[in-house]
Amino acid sequence: MEYIVETKHLTKSFGKEKAVSNLEMKIPKGEIYGFLGPNGAGKTTTIRMLLGLMRPTSGSVQLFGKDMKNNRIEILKNVGSLVENPSYYPHLTAKENLEASRKILNVPKKRIDEVLQQVRLHGVANKKVKGYSLGMKQRLGIAAAMLHQPELLILDEPTNGLDPSGIIEMRQLIQSLPKEYGMTVLISSHLLSEIDQMATRVGVVSKGKMIFQDSIETMRKFAQASIQVKVNDNEAAWRSLLANGQKADLGEESVTLQAEDDEQVAASIRYLVQQGFSIYRVQEEKRSLENIFLEMTKEEQAG
Amino acid sequence: MFSVINSEWYKLRKSKVLFLLLIAPLIGLFIGIANSSIEIEGINAWHGKLVMMNFTYAILFLPLISGVLASVICRYEHQEGGWKQLLALPVTRGKVFLSKYLLLILLMLVMQLMYLVSIYLVGMIEGITDPFPMDIVWKSIFGGWVATLPLIALQLWVSIAFKSFAAPFAINVIFTLPTILVINSERFGPYYPWGQPFLMMNIGGSTEDVFFVPWDQILMVVGGSFLLFFIGGYLYFLKKAI
Repeated sequence: MEYIVETKHLTKSFGKEKAVSNLEMKIPKGEIYGFLGPNGAGKTTTIRMLLGLMRPTSGSVQLFGKDMKNNRIEILKNVGSLVENPSYYPHLTAKENLEASRKILNVPKKRIDEVLQQVRLHGVANKKVKGYSLGMKQRLGIAAAMLHQPELLILDEPTNGLDPSGIIEMRQLIQSLPKEYGMTVLISSHLLSEIDQMATRVGVVSKGKMIFQDSIETMRKFAQASIQVKVNDNEAAWRSLLANGQKADLGEESVTLQAEDDEQVAASIRYLVQQGFSIYRVQEEKRSLENIFLEMTKEEQAG
Repeated sequence: MFSVINSEWYKLRKSKVLFLLLIAPLIGLFIGIANSSIEIEGINAWHGKLVMMNFTYAILFLPLISGVLASVICRYEHQEGGWKQLLALPVTRGKVFLSKYLLLILLMLVMQLMYLVSIYLVGMIEGITDPFPMDIVWKSIFGGWVATLPLIALQLWVSIAFKSFAAPFAINVIFTLPTILVINSERFGPYYPWGQPFLMMNIGGSTEDVFFVPWDQILMVVGGSFLLFFIGGYLYFLKKAI
């Protein structure tokens, strides 16, 4: 498989503290890769190393199959980025900010209007960025990242500070990029719901380690449903199910059936009815991705 | 390389501090007009003017203005993540450093040339009839510029290192003020980066040399400190964590 981003044993230490440790990130072409982890897990440090802003303590970074160490300029010609808080020159307008980058990137002037249109800042293009709201600055940052139509777009917390409608717009924009321009996108976030709605692949990082990396579908499979039954006497019902050889867990207010298919659920319910329990409720509960994410990162922290 | 300088020039131009370049030549002009020089028989009347104007210009305003410009050229990078934005573009850090430095020394050359205009204007206004001492003035203007090269490298280094605008400015003022004392010391004077512009601009000494200060001293002191500060700042910037 062709990987746009591939890191090998990537490690960054600050003193004794390992901010990133043995990280192996693999991003295939055309994917929207959600880079997920709690605050301080090492996401931004990893992204800085991907952009060559920071040198790894050990390990390597390869973008487009080229080593970052020796091909930095060549690689960066095809990478657009927004790292952490939006970066900008406060004394310049949006247009002038983009012009300062454009001179270095050497792209046609019309690209400035095009990207401003894409992030819907064309109305305020001639105002000083100093007076922009956080959301507008964020959008300007994304516009700057797309100026040279890069093959790889790296966005660190791109929806920070955006209002709900801004988030939806941004999501639509990001989702359209692989389809329309064949871009590969890396988005980092600490919010799973956000990644869940955009990403096609997920990497979960905790304490500097990659603890999960696969397609979003695989991650969703972890979110298996369970059946909760509420009866007049939960404990008695639970004992009776166990005595009958059916798997169940006792919860505080209900019994959870560990059923693998619908027939098993039906069998358990039939049995409970026959035993004379009053069944108040049978409901399906899905473990949310949020819970899975929390469990994943918690296990790591405990260990 | 040119595109990086072009971008730097664009950002600096838009920051509206270039009027600062006018201040020092204007003050030179006022000092030249305000003080009547003593006429001494047999000495070119321009000399008296030059000695007086150079004193305030080279000791005080030249190093102060170059320091402010060095801070400004780094200030907007420090403010809102500009370094990050700039260095994630396909540029090498070396080119960024060199571009900023080249832009600064070019601006200082412009300021020196404006100062030359000031000198000429003073003479016109005062009605000096002696011939304009072209060679002396050029030595002063061009030599003074050469002597700012190490100073600017040092100021750029300090400005990159400090995130705040005030710190490099304060450091610059602290080291500029004692210049008047330090240049009187024969031992330390030539080695003081803030004093070098004055020593180079000060007229006198032997006129046979290309500059007023002997070549070997220029090469050693100005050249040596230039290499020290430029390479130091350059390496510091290459290693700096952004």
